[in-house]
Amino acid sequence: MILAGIEAMNVFGGSAYLNVLELATHRSLDTTRFENLLMKEKAVALPFEDPVTFGVNAAKPIMDSLSSEEKNKIELLITCTESGIDFGKSISTYIHHYLELNRNCRLFEIKQACYSGTAGLQTAINFVLSQASPGAKALVVATDISRFMTVDAGETLTADWSFAEPSAGAGAVAVLVSNKPYVYQVDIGANGYYGYEVMDSCRPTPDSEAGDADLSLMSYLDCCEQTFLEYQKRVDHVDYKDTFQYLAFHTPFGGMVKGAHRSMMRRMVKAKPSEIEEDFERRVMPGLMYCQRVGNVMGATSLLSLASTIDQGDFSSPSRIGTFSYGSGCCSEFYSGLTAKEGQERQRSFEINEHLNSRYRLSLEEYESLFDYTDLLKFGTRNSTIDPVIFSQARLSKSKTGKSCLILEGIREYHREYRWIS
Amino acid sequence: MSREEIWHIVIQQVIEVIPELEGYSFRPSEKLADLGANSMDRAEIVALALEALELRIPRIELFGASNIGELVELLYAKSIA
Repeated sequence: MILAGIEAMNVFGGSAYLNVLELATHRSLDTTRFENLLMKEKAVALPFEDPVTFGVNAAKPIMDSLSSEEKNKIELLITCTESGIDFGKSISTYIHHYLELNRNCRLFEIKQACYSGTAGLQTAINFVLSQASPGAKALVVATDISRFMTVDAGETLTADWSFAEPSAGAGAVAVLVSNKPYVYQVDIGANGYYGYEVMDSCRPTPDSEAGDADLSLMSYLDCCEQTFLEYQKRVDHVDYKDTFQYLAFHTPFGGMVKGAHRSMMRRMVKAKPSEIEEDFERRVMPGLMYCQRVGNVMGATSLLSLASTIDQGDFSSPSRIGTFSYGSGCCSEFYSGLTAKEGQERQRSFEINEHLNSRYRLSLEEYESLFDYTDLLKFGTRNSTIDPVIFSQARLSKSKTGKSCLILEGIREYHREYRWIS
Repeated sequence: MSREEIWHIVIQQVIEVIPELEGYSFRPSEKLADLGANSMDRAEIVALALEALELRIPRIELFGASNIGELVELLYAKSIA
């Protein structure tokens, strides 16, 4: 039997972050029940960072861990994003270049809101399972950033949209998929997918978002149920409570996941409130930890939650993780796989937690000063130069980790130019 | 089920989610948001009401109600459909 799954996985959660309670207080949002939202920090993209640098910086440590022979087996590079920098040329071309991958490799980009990472992962898994090129590996890079500006609220674009700013983060997850699933072995064919047309949230203009929080939440909850019911149809003897030792969710913010888990436990298991709370702490919280520190990273979020689960869970015996992914618009999926102790040890070698701890903490003044740079990197910018000394402290905090990091230097005739620093 | 019965079921769910509203006299023109329900709370109220009414329909079919009266009206329309 052919195996497939994740050989290695790494996260890049930015060079800088902001405390979101400080932001919510500063914006005069109602913070009386802010704790219920389960948000702590969000990664903020600095002017020398873009979806390419995030993606490369997530994937580079994985590449460095491979022999050149192994690296040359990467024949598929998929980038997954809703923060594209060009309508035609995909981000994968830049990432391929800076990772110095084999040229006999397919390069393309996938868009479907926050579902993109899952679309990329499942495409890569099917590429490996197809055996069209035996032994070939695939690299999936989900990368999304928000440089914050909102479309003015209109008649139907209102609701709780003000909470989008504290929740919107920046980050990337790189996943090496192969027939050596050291970290996470997929349950082949155990996928429940569900999609339909709904206008819940979108990016109708470059660098901005619009939508209706209520509609999006309802659609997310509907999909959470429908994908699991479909999964249950396809896999024998499945129980929401006992089949999965952990649950990883697409996490716009923790409070939403808590609500979805509560709703699922009530509907599928008829669980009582105290049982739901205990179950949430045990099966769901491990997957929320990184999400609470990076914020919503859209297409990369469900993979971020999966990485968090694998790092923070107890895998002393092999355990099954059920993952729910949702992307507005919409498409969604519930799928599962197995992780064992050796896999967790391998993944922990990438020291994701240490990376998150090494980030620079932005003051509110510094955060707000970033809005002045938004125009510099706006979609469609032809020429631009990034001041080489801005936020040098944030650059320094990264270099202390001893890992080299890619930064954006500028744009010349639409072509983005990057440089390695260490 | 009559509109009045559905109204009472909805109000019960609102109080379940926001216990501080126990004893409050609700009016159909009131918005759940104005009564302190955030979007998570509103989704929860809708889900609980659907369950109590044993209606097996997607939540998004109840989207668009701008106050409690309209939510009751939508649920009533679904319950007789």
